[in-house]
Amino acid sequence: MDLKKTVTELAEASGTSGSEEDAAGLALSMLRQFCPDAAISGGNVIGRFGTHVEGRPSLVLDAHIDQVGFAVTAVTDEGFIKVGNIGGIDRRLLPAQPVVIHGKSDIKGVICSTPPHLTNGRTPVPEISDIAIDAGMSRAELEQIVSSGDTITFDAVCRDLIGTRITGGALDDRCGVAAVLYALELLGGAETAYNVTVIFSTQEEVGERGAKIGAFAVDPDIAIAVDVSFGFAMGEDETKCGYLGSGPMIGVSPSLSREISDSLAAAAEAEDIPYQTEVMCGLTSTNADRYAVSRCGAKTCTVSIPLRNMHTPVEVIDLTDVELTAKLLAAFIKEG
Amino acid sequence: MMKELLKELCLADGVSGDEGAVRDLIISKVKDVCQYSIDDLGNLICFRKGRKAPKKKLMICAHMDEVGFMVTYIRSDGTLRFDCVGGIDPSVVIGRRVKVGSSRISGVIGSTAVHNLSKEQREKAPDIDSLYIDIGASSREEAEKYVFLGDCVYFDAEFAELGEHCVRSKAIDDRAGCAIMIKLMQEKPDYDTYFVFNVQEEIGLRGSAVSSFSVAPDFAIVLEATTAADIDGVTGEKRVCELGRGPVVSFMDKRTIYDKELYRLAFDLATCQTKTMIAGGNDAGSIHISGKGVRTISVSVPCRYLHSPSSVIDMSDLVSSYKLVKNLSKRIPLL
Repeated sequence: MDLKKTVTELAEASGTSGSEEDAAGLALSMLRQFCPDAAISGGNVIGRFGTHVEGRPSLVLDAHIDQVGFAVTAVTDEGFIKVGNIGGIDRRLLPAQPVVIHGKSDIKGVICSTPPHLTNGRTPVPEISDIAIDAGMSRAELEQIVSSGDTITFDAVCRDLIGTRITGGALDDRCGVAAVLYALELLGGAETAYNVTVIFSTQEEVGERGAKIGAFAVDPDIAIAVDVSFGFAMGEDETKCGYLGSGPMIGVSPSLSREISDSLAAAAEAEDIPYQTEVMCGLTSTNADRYAVSRCGAKTCTVSIPLRNMHTPVEVIDLTDVELTAKLLAAFIKEG
Repeated sequence: MMKELLKELCLADGVSGDEGAVRDLIISKVKDVCQYSIDDLGNLICFRKGRKAPKKKLMICAHMDEVGFMVTYIRSDGTLRFDCVGGIDPSVVIGRRVKVGSSRISGVIGSTAVHNLSKEQREKAPDIDSLYIDIGASSREEAEKYVFLGDCVYFDAEFAELGEHCVRSKAIDDRAGCAIMIKLMQEKPDYDTYFVFNVQEEIGLRGSAVSSFSVAPDFAIVLEATTAADIDGVTGEKRVCELGRGPVVSFMDKRTIYDKELYRLAFDLATCQTKTMIAGGNDAGSIHISGKGVRTISVSVPCRYLHSPSSVIDMSDLVSSYKLVKNLSKRIPLL
């Protein structure tokens, strides 16, 4: 698999929480290569990998397919689009930010920015209720294309940085989706220790809702949430971050299974895969929080790809970490 | 056709002091219709023969440079410290893609994840000093293979059409003016005219101070893009000017009190608007007091989100501004 191409295609698809169809459709077509009967169920993309043998423990590989964005709430008389946010948005970077409005067709726009003569040169950070989107159209023109509830994403394309790093929007968590797909490719037809099911889940960014119903539907014994976590950069607390290029971050937390954390670390060491330990002292704010307490419970862990500038149009990852994450997942699933 | 020309001009990169790529593009468009020279600062001075030689000299000008950044330091972690070239609001800097240096290395201006900001930090755009450019390098040594101190940094922005009439791009200020001039030069003017493409407007009207001295015109038409604040939540005079209402002709801004006869002439010739606040300034500021003095008018395309990578204009304003300048050049008393 051309990993960069897979990550880029997924990251450039759109799918805000609750409106994941575009990204989920793409992920489904990619997953069917490894799980021929994969399908969309309750919004989630779900596929059984390989032969499921009775008596073997079941394992879910989860990555969320949704991304943060906005929803259209109203169109003003002058043709400006008012919005609400979907998930956590950094309001500081919104002025003059280019966006795509996913109406009957996709149209381009820009978030209004108040010029300096009205702000003494320093634009205040807007409230979401204050922001408006300029699509260069009148209200009548807009109403042909845009309706309340339509979604809006940052107009972000991926770019190569130097070395193996790339930037883009929605790398959270499409790079996790790509890591899961690549892990399946690495496994190929090999014997596995588990009955593996893949779930690309919806609505993580608004409270892990897709994972809740996905976990109920599949009822795994073990679940691994493959997501992103904070990559160290200037302005971040180094003690709470992973480093880009240093491998997957294996979660350790009272809410996670220490047995699985240890097994993942052992698998990494056995295969000489570099990894980092991410200690969280309670919940993880990932889909792991849902799998752990679904039905009768599951042994759960997080495997995270370090990412800079989370929830912005300029998220940055190192593709090496995506590759190493896939290798770790494959090694763990093969050996148990 | 003007849209294609504008697109090509906007996608060229030319931060103040580094206008070469823009100048080369303009030369390729006009070299067959004029005599041109490049002065010591990099201004492109073109003489376009008209049907008649006038007694008085007319200069039409626009500036080639755009706002951007320069690399001032490479940190040990491989990130780049930078400063603004021209006036840029920090809130249109974070979360943007940029291109660095002559090989146009991609980079981003990132910021601390929103999850990790305190309540107070979430409400304040960070200072430029606390931002960095990330080109993907993980050490100073790695970054130094690609970047030199003093490299220019350009916004990496797409040229997009918004609806039927509008476009969104970087550098519309002042490639809009450059586009109008190229189109005017491609037709034979009534009178011999100097068309001047200036450098360094954004750092204090530097290029035009020099070129207007050497051309020494009697009349000048300065073509610009000017701030329109006709956005949601802004009403009345605070809007300054509006998209779709034609060229903006000011009676006064922060740098110039304009020639009154030329101001009235513009309104006689076309449906224009004026600015409803005394704000901004442009090359007219250095031109009108150049030499013995120059009778000056500025014609601006109203532009939202000026100096951001997502500036927006209505193409109808570009076309009507072009028509007005064409008519002005016939009617300004040059004989």
